[in-house]
Amino acid sequence: MENKIILSAKNIIVKFKVRNRVLTAIRNVSLDLYEKETLAIVGESGSGKSVFTKTFTGMLETNGEVTNGEIIFEGKNLLENKKDKDWEKIRGKKIATVFQDPMTSLNPVKTIGSQISEVIIKHQGKSKEEAKELAIELMEKVGIQNAAVRFNEYPFMYSGGMRQRIVIAITLACKPEILICDEPTTALDVTIQAQIIDLIKNLQKEYGFTTIYITHDLGVVANVADKVAVMYAGQIIEQGTVEEVFYNPKHPYTWGLLSSLPQLGEKGKKLYAISGTPPSLFEEIKGDAFAPRNPYAMQIDYEEEPPMFKVSETHYAKTWLLDERAPFVEPPVEIRQLHERLSKMPSVKGETNE
Amino acid sequence: MRAVVSLFIVVSIAIVMVFLLIPRDRIFENDQSISKLSGKKDLLAAYKLGKLKDLGYLDYKAQKEICEINQASKDCFSAGSSEINELIKIYEKDGYTINKTEDGFYYVVKDYKTSRLILNFYSNLIKIDHTGVIKDPNNLELERKVYFAKDHNGMLSIKCSGCENQYLLYFNGSFPFIHQNFIKLNFGISYPTYIGLNTFSVISNKQGELKNKEITFETGTTAKSAINLHSCTYKMTEAIDDLDKAKFVNNYAKCTSNYTDPSMIEVSYIMGILSLVFSYLISIPLGVVMAKERGKLIDKIGIIYVNLMIAVPSLAFIFFVRNIGSLFKLPDKFSQLGFTDVRSYIMPVIILTLLSTSSLIIWVRRYMVDQTNSDYVKFAKAKGLSEKEIFNTHILKNAIIPIVNGIPSSIILSIGGAVITETIFAIPGMGKMLPDSIKAVNNNMVITLTFIFTALSVFSLVLGDVLMALIDPRIKLDNKGGSR
Repeated sequence: MENKIILSAKNIIVKFKVRNRVLTAIRNVSLDLYEKETLAIVGESGSGKSVFTKTFTGMLETNGEVTNGEIIFEGKNLLENKKDKDWEKIRGKKIATVFQDPMTSLNPVKTIGSQISEVIIKHQGKSKEEAKELAIELMEKVGIQNAAVRFNEYPFMYSGGMRQRIVIAITLACKPEILICDEPTTALDVTIQAQIIDLIKNLQKEYGFTTIYITHDLGVVANVADKVAVMYAGQIIEQGTVEEVFYNPKHPYTWGLLSSLPQLGEKGKKLYAISGTPPSLFEEIKGDAFAPRNPYAMQIDYEEEPPMFKVSETHYAKTWLLDERAPFVEPPVEIRQLHERLSKMPSVKGETNE
Repeated sequence: MRAVVSLFIVVSIAIVMVFLLIPRDRIFENDQSISKLSGKKDLLAAYKLGKLKDLGYLDYKAQKEICEINQASKDCFSAGSSEINELIKIYEKDGYTINKTEDGFYYVVKDYKTSRLILNFYSNLIKIDHTGVIKDPNNLELERKVYFAKDHNGMLSIKCSGCENQYLLYFNGSFPFIHQNFIKLNFGISYPTYIGLNTFSVISNKQGELKNKEITFETGTTAKSAINLHSCTYKMTEAIDDLDKAKFVNNYAKCTSNYTDPSMIEVSYIMGILSLVFSYLISIPLGVVMAKERGKLIDKIGIIYVNLMIAVPSLAFIFFVRNIGSLFKLPDKFSQLGFTDVRSYIMPVIILTLLSTSSLIIWVRRYMVDQTNSDYVKFAKAKGLSEKEIFNTHILKNAIIPIVNGIPSSIILSIGGAVITETIFAIPGMGKMLPDSIKAVNNNMVITLTFIFTALSVFSLVLGDVLMALIDPRIKLDNKGGSR
């Protein structure tokens, strides 16, 4: 990628205090985010996707703490921001977040208009009238018809999809550099999902921001992302471009994840599922966190944590299988055939598009 | 609409319970006249039946009355005459029980059925004053008109001739400044306590000493008097005496007096409102701070306080705080210093305030915590708003909605007074009226209070909903099925 790095997270460790026990949610994660690219972070629930991105805006819950690492953004380490006041210059203005549930993201007793304009007033220092004009403009941009009238309406008068559009309008109000979409379409039905994703895609082209998608919908990933990072048990275990991760995955967990795509299911055959459960993050994990669920696990997987192996300039995976001493293991048949099977099924790409 | 129905049901149940379930003999237990009449069997029976009639239990007619109603000849009034025998038969057919005194005089009695009891109550409930109310056989030339006139203070008022009240509408300096006599609620007569007074007057009339001041009457005589000229009602010509003639130019000479002390309702209300204001002033900020500092020291102290207040029986708490007050030379009985001294109010108000803080604090805290945990607050934070901005423009408005909903009922229900506190401090307020009248078997008073309390609570709930609709855009009053 010729683009320059816009945000760089290095060796992030996040710990939570839960009922007097310490839970390590993010275990030494590093990530470079390039300008104008779309990065998708995938992984099962509890893998730390949301927690990791929350550290970019200092939005961790009060019992959580970044104990190690640095996040370089615009030449400064964001983790040096201790007070909320410092974070307020980042949040919304530079890095904006769209949350999962549009039904509850908006204040039920304030008008849509006031919720958009308050951001504009706060970050751009505009007057009330100017903010109103800009807000109506934004509402039109995200596809709200009759925006001038709907400016004065309340969230309960909007449908779920429209509320998510408003949420997006609010996040765009200050032209952020990075937009974090935390499962933006999970709470919406399929047709609306496609509309919202298209909307974000188009707005990204227009505004030129960088997007981070947090999702467990691999269909969405294939559709929108340039790069993919797969997270498991608080670590990024594989990252690369969409093509690399989808068609040449290296980590057994990614194999499992891709094999369980419902689109690959055949009539009469059970869908693939990764057996077992993720490890408890309360205890220290020895070796590879995925080892107990990994059918290809070797002795060393239980003893020593694998390093990030470089596959190509952009493709990295954290598995001992890539070590030169490891025996050659072929990915399962499903993965080897993934490319042709997916190409036979335009629905994977098309599903969220229509 | 539903409000009116529920009011009707509650009061009807109270009427049925009071009239049918309480033994009638108990009504007379506290009447001293009974002991004077003991031994005179007929007089006693007549007295009791007369009282029961006044209270609305039954219909009772003595021979004299029967004869008068039917405009019978003089013969009818003597014992055992043929004319009365004829008349009695008519009453017997109507379902009356026929009785005879020792002297041979008839009297008839008929108990009202349940439905009739309830009907009577509601048909007499509202009294509208109009020009045709007064029927005075000795004053047939009585003018019948409603007119505007200046009263003795020089204020414009609506006066009436031919109505029960002389003043239908007038202004004066006491709350609520505008007063009307067009419509009055009539709940019946109080008995055996406060004998003869209208039950509603008992709780709304002023108490204490007569308040004398210089008054110039319409006739021009000036005297030191406590008469409240606005309260004058019609006095039958046969009852007018020379004293009345000296003061009044017309028949409106039955007046009540001005008293020094506030009425029972007012006493309870003054204390109720004061303690309400204080408890909101204490609880809302405290609840908010506790929610903000959740899990920290101030929150823990607050929760200990709330738990303590809930756990300690209020009776014990009241005595405890009262004793603390005594250490500071504050009176432990209201009558020691009376109405005029501020110190009389301090301890009761403090106690009432503290008693209501605990639940209020915990609710405010809860609403605040609910709101701070909600998604829109997280999103507002992600928008880059500061904690203060989020709090002022987002959380407060949401959290205040359920609190506002409760305010009207707190205000209005404080009229009802505080039973235990008023009893312990011997405060002449409304709070101890209900238990007192139940103890004294003052049935009409019990029904009156039931009616008032029910009406107020229903009304305040409606008012709370109206207020909520005003501040919460999600709720509209014109929604179908939205009425209570």
